[in-house]
Amino acid sequence: MELAWYALLGLFFASYLVLGGYDYGVGLLLARGTDPARRRAALNAVGPFFLGNEVWLVAAVGILFGAFPVLEGELLSGFYPAVCGALTGVVLVTAGVQLRSRPAGQRARAWWDRVVVVGSVLAALGWGAVLAGLLQGVPLHADGHVAGVTHLFTPFVAAAGLAVVALVALHGATFLTLRLPTADAAPVGRLAARLVPVALTAVGAATVLGLLSADVRAAAGQPVAGILLLSLLVTALLAARVALARRRPGLAFAATCAALALPVALVGATIWPHALVSTIEPSASLTVTEAAASTPTLRLLGWLTLPLLPALLGFQAMCWWVFRGRTDGRAPVYW
Amino acid sequence: MDTLFLARLQFATTTSIHFLFVAVTLGLVTLLVGLQTASVITNKPVYERLTRFWGQLYVINYVLGIATGIVMEFQFGLNWSGLSRYVGNVFGAPLAIETLVAFFLESTFLGMWIFGWHRLRRGVHLALLWGVAITAYASAFWIMVANSWLQNPVGYEVRDGVAHLTDFSALLDNPTLHMALGHVVTAALLVGGMLMAAVSAWHLLRRTPDFALHRKGLRIGLVTSAVAIFFVQGFGFAQFFAIGDVQPTKFGDDPAAAPLIADWTARFGPGDYTPPALANVGLGFMILIGFTLGLLWLMLPLLWRDWVIRLRVPLWILQFALPLPFVAMILGWIAREVGRQPWAAYGLLPVDQAVSPVSPWLMLASLIGFSLLLGALAVTNWVLLARHAARGAHDPALGRQPDQPPADPRPEPAFA
Repeated sequence: MELAWYALLGLFFASYLVLGGYDYGVGLLLARGTDPARRRAALNAVGPFFLGNEVWLVAAVGILFGAFPVLEGELLSGFYPAVCGALTGVVLVTAGVQLRSRPAGQRARAWWDRVVVVGSVLAALGWGAVLAGLLQGVPLHADGHVAGVTHLFTPFVAAAGLAVVALVALHGATFLTLRLPTADAAPVGRLAARLVPVALTAVGAATVLGLLSADVRAAAGQPVAGILLLSLLVTALLAARVALARRRPGLAFAATCAALALPVALVGATIWPHALVSTIEPSASLTVTEAAASTPTLRLLGWLTLPLLPALLGFQAMCWWVFRGRTDGRAPVYW
Repeated sequence: MDTLFLARLQFATTTSIHFLFVAVTLGLVTLLVGLQTASVITNKPVYERLTRFWGQLYVINYVLGIATGIVMEFQFGLNWSGLSRYVGNVFGAPLAIETLVAFFLESTFLGMWIFGWHRLRRGVHLALLWGVAITAYASAFWIMVANSWLQNPVGYEVRDGVAHLTDFSALLDNPTLHMALGHVVTAALLVGGMLMAAVSAWHLLRRTPDFALHRKGLRIGLVTSAVAIFFVQGFGFAQFFAIGDVQPTKFGDDPAAAPLIADWTARFGPGDYTPPALANVGLGFMILIGFTLGLLWLMLPLLWRDWVIRLRVPLWILQFALPLPFVAMILGWIAREVGRQPWAAYGLLPVDQAVSPVSPWLMLASLIGFSLLLGALAVTNWVLLARHAARGAHDPALGRQPDQPPADPRPEPAFA
């Protein structure tokens, strides 16, 4: 049962990275050019999905709290700066996207757009750092608490954070290629194609630094799974490049979605059976079973939430279906 | 400097700011459901225009409120890791349920509602708003289940120092839950009603265009707040029985507290088990404001023949009374939460064991950072609400025809 909840947690967090990822990617791309019409078009493309994307993060943390309370406390407080950074980013994007269109003046809008760009970078960097931190392990003491935060400041964590920023930018550009009116989609498609090598380089750099890090090598309980999932990630990026070149934005978007989801699977599988690896005392490492809530809690959550999962997914799917296809002049404008 | 004190201060700041948003959200969504339902049933344009105007204010507040809510949710893990470690098995469950079954759907529905004007059938569009409102109330319910458990832990047993869930129905049956939930929900309705009445009063005083629309807003707002304050007072006083039974130390001077404190001293060591006087101060001023707002009933007879508008003084009063329900709500939470001290979970987990072992400097940095960020959001929210409220129902961005260019954003000067 713990495994099922762990998988569900991974599913929700990965979905957040995929869905929130293109919000942040589109947010990042607001930085290119200051043409108001182009920014308007990009925000219209995200429009109806924006509110529904972020809820996956809140739900993921809800599952983390309800089903893995011990992990929740140590993970969030152990990665304090990374989580605070990501959180600040999420808040800035949420507020910025909605606020930018309230004033009518172009200068005020440009200012809020800058807030969205900064927020998107922070969110991507922060979640990348959290994932890398999990892979690298934390100084978890025998008393169960993580000491200090300096463990986060390593080259590997920095590289992984940047890699997620690159992935998110690519994902956002691919999303726009899929959603914008055909005429506007071509230049953004070329941009996406140019971002693939950037993302590959960033992932490569993070991999090399990870392999060089003794902590990462020690924390990897299942190195084979890690390598396998990493090669899948690289394959997904290459597939996105091919699909973009052949003007198949749907396929390319599926590939970049996979590229955003795979890091979560990679981290979860590589440190399995642990959920939080201790770098200083192997016996203090927290396994998934130890991190989970006790059986009555999991059973209760299962009874109350699992029957509702189809409804959750169904209403999200309804949102995607109602607003499917490319945006056009008739697309509703709000953000 | 003390990590515990800073963490408590951060919790107080973020919760207070968060709740300013929550109350407006919960109050306005209820009124919006009424407005849009009336619009679909009667087909009168005034209701659709009211829905768009108030919907716009609601959405501004909602989206900025999400940002504060996300910070709240993460704060438990960031600053109070002991809470998840020792009582997470029980306390985490209602929070997890809230995010999954309530908030998740609420935002999904709202996204479709915002962008669904002119695109979805009217019935579907209305159903989405009903969905938003129902999940918003479900959210309030589960959050209050979690909060009530901290006030009065029930349905658990402690094994190896960790609380385990034994009886979930006890959480739903918690004596500190029902009256408090009623109190909070009707207080939110009071806030929504007073906001609607005050904004409409502002327009009526300045004789802006759209007299009929704002007159309707004033009447709906005034009647809603008058009904709400009655229930706020009722649910508020009804809580004293439960508090006296299960939290005798909350407001001090209760003879029932002495044996409890003796028991705690035996189990947790000697210490100061009475909450700071702030809890009582909050309670006193809140009750004072509650009684003052009870005078809203005096305005109801003035609705006859629009005397409330013709006399003008009631409009001024409504405008200036708007901060009162917000202040009362913060004071109410101070009474409830400070009165829980020194416990994170009453009689079970002291705050000093619940706080995360992070350095005070880090805690100070996050306190300053998040207070500034959320404070800025609250100020922005109020400036925006005021600006959009003042702009009037002329042409809100919400529900505008997609191919129609926005009208002149400045309100027309009123020469009426």
